[in-house]
Amino acid sequence: MKITVKLIGPLIYDAGFSEKEIELPGPVTAGELVPLVKLDKKRPVIITRNGKAVAFTDFLREGDRVVISHIYSGG
Amino acid sequence: MKGWTGYILRVNLTDKTWKKEAFTEEFATTWVGGRGFAAKILFDELRPGIDPLGPENKLVVALGPISGIPAPNTGKAVVAAKSPLTGFYGDGNLGTHVSSQLRKAGYDALIVEGVAARPTMLYIEDDKVEFHSAEEVWGKGTYATNDWIYKTYPKNLGVLNIGQGGENKVLYSVIRSMEGRAGGRPGMGAVMGSKMLKAIVVKGTKVIPQEKPEEMKQLGYAGLKEAHALDQASGWSKQSTNAVLAWCNEVNGLPVQNFRKTTHPEASKIDGERLNDARIATYGCPSCTMHCGITIHDQEGRESELDYENIGMLGSNLNVFDLKQVGSLNYLCDDYGLDTISAGSVLGFYADAIEHGATTGDFKFGDAEQGKVLLGQIALREGKVGNLLADGTLRMAKAWGKDSINYAMQVKGLETAAYNCKSIPGQALANGVAAIGGHHREAWIITFELKNSKRESYGPEKAAKVIELQRIRGGLFELLVACRFPWVEVGYSLENYPKFFNAVTGLNWTLEDFWKAADRGYALIKLHYLREFPNTTRKDDYPPAVWFDKANADTEGPQKGVALEYDKYDSLLQHYYDQRGYDQRGIPTKDLLAKLGLQKEAAEVEKYAKLS
Repeated sequence: MKITVKLIGPLIYDAGFSEKEIELPGPVTAGELVPLVKLDKKRPVIITRNGKAVAFTDFLREGDRVVISHIYSGG
Repeated sequence: MKGWTGYILRVNLTDKTWKKEAFTEEFATTWVGGRGFAAKILFDELRPGIDPLGPENKLVVALGPISGIPAPNTGKAVVAAKSPLTGFYGDGNLGTHVSSQLRKAGYDALIVEGVAARPTMLYIEDDKVEFHSAEEVWGKGTYATNDWIYKTYPKNLGVLNIGQGGENKVLYSVIRSMEGRAGGRPGMGAVMGSKMLKAIVVKGTKVIPQEKPEEMKQLGYAGLKEAHALDQASGWSKQSTNAVLAWCNEVNGLPVQNFRKTTHPEASKIDGERLNDARIATYGCPSCTMHCGITIHDQEGRESELDYENIGMLGSNLNVFDLKQVGSLNYLCDDYGLDTISAGSVLGFYADAIEHGATTGDFKFGDAEQGKVLLGQIALREGKVGNLLADGTLRMAKAWGKDSINYAMQVKGLETAAYNCKSIPGQALANGVAAIGGHHREAWIITFELKNSKRESYGPEKAAKVIELQRIRGGLFELLVACRFPWVEVGYSLENYPKFFNAVTGLNWTLEDFWKAADRGYALIKLHYLREFPNTTRKDDYPPAVWFDKANADTEGPQKGVALEYDKYDSLLQHYYDQRGYDQRGIPTKDLLAKLGLQKEAAEVEKYAKLS
């Protein structure tokens, strides 16, 4: 299953990429994706899929665009 | 009374006099400092209906009990006056050494009255006040003015100054500081310019009174270390606020083409990642633990420091996706002393109005070169167009008519910041009920709406979140006059702030005490508004009409066809009023005012308007 992962802000430097298409090994939740892209799973993040926030327990789907971001607060 | 110096410096530019005035402990503990001091002073001393650009208006520079004391991000000052842009109380804060220098000079606030006969530089050194000529730099930008001040005065100063925008009374001109910061979006620069006051230079040599200086020293330095470590651990400063552009672009919240669109395929050309790549330096405010801007070389090779509001409003909002050109537009705003949010909104509105036939002209979205020309015309009020654009979007819409008011992106005359809220109801409310007009400073709840609530909800939880953040951001931090970033962006605990306050004052406040003081400040600013606009209605708390317009909704993507809904927004607004204890107009009730100890202020307002 292929998805596109986009990282925002400092996560880019932690994971070593900004945006890429990745092949998932099987069913993966949004929360499980975090360590898969080499981010600390304890780090507070907000995950959106196709422009809408998702729960960490939600399963990802073929073709999803998943955005993982530091939790910003509008400065 | 420790923690406060206990004195206000009152300066009159008309007759070149000044006096040092003591204030009471009751005043200090009721209004705390910063925005609280400024709102109270201006409420007591200004009559409604005065010309904001006339001699009767007063400019207040106000500090807080931890200003000038080493602790996380305490190097800020509040600047306030009756706003020429909105017609009621306006303020802003900016990083500046005035924060420490004015307190060391022995004052918690400065009130500037009257109008100087000639361009003037106000020089304050402890108990000495001098009125120097500013003829040499009148007509010059903020950078040249700063350079001149550095050469002319001794080192270790606090400086506030204005550019040509303030001199020419551009209604959204700001005050700038020697650190390259800007504050006072609702035309505080124009108020300074109307007084022929080019700069305020402050030097202080005294000791700021503290009840427990050793305890504060330990708390402050530990706080600086912790806040800095939190930033380093999170990596926040790598892109600072600029990272928000890419995120807003992903969640359909970016202002594009005067807020007509919410995303753009070229947004990545001006985002935080590109900025970090182009970074040549970073500058922070005094006591800063996490720099919020990134400096790059602009198109002309000058240093331009950018944060999210700059790249959002002067970049995507104008369809300018060339980082160096965005840097140039930003540099010009900073040098002229124009607010970048309003300037970006004004230019976007102008291009939009031309496209929609409300006015004529040759400015188009994406035309950065013409944008630069227009900024110059605005700052100098050159020609018919420059002169009108210098007055902000509300007055532009009134001049043009043809329903252009619907896409003038302002609330109460103040241009909204770089968040496109057509499908984000809670943030739309935050703009609608911001104390001084459309602003993001006091409440930003977009992440909350997406993560903890339903984006499409207009429920009471969003009103509650706005109030919670107003108490923290518009209350605690504006009263203490400290930057909110260590708390809001990297998780430095709020519980530290009462500890700082208690160490310097010897009091025993909790956060609850600050919430009450915050509510008092919000209520007083509402009374400012009612006194100036006695016929106000709840419609004044509505965001721009274009956000409600289905025809303006996204035509593709996850928010396709979504716009704000009037009846639902009105119910959200009612939740806010109910939770605040405000009446149907959004004005505090007499009961609430009594609970907040504002009976005297209520009686004053009742000379002009009705209270419920």
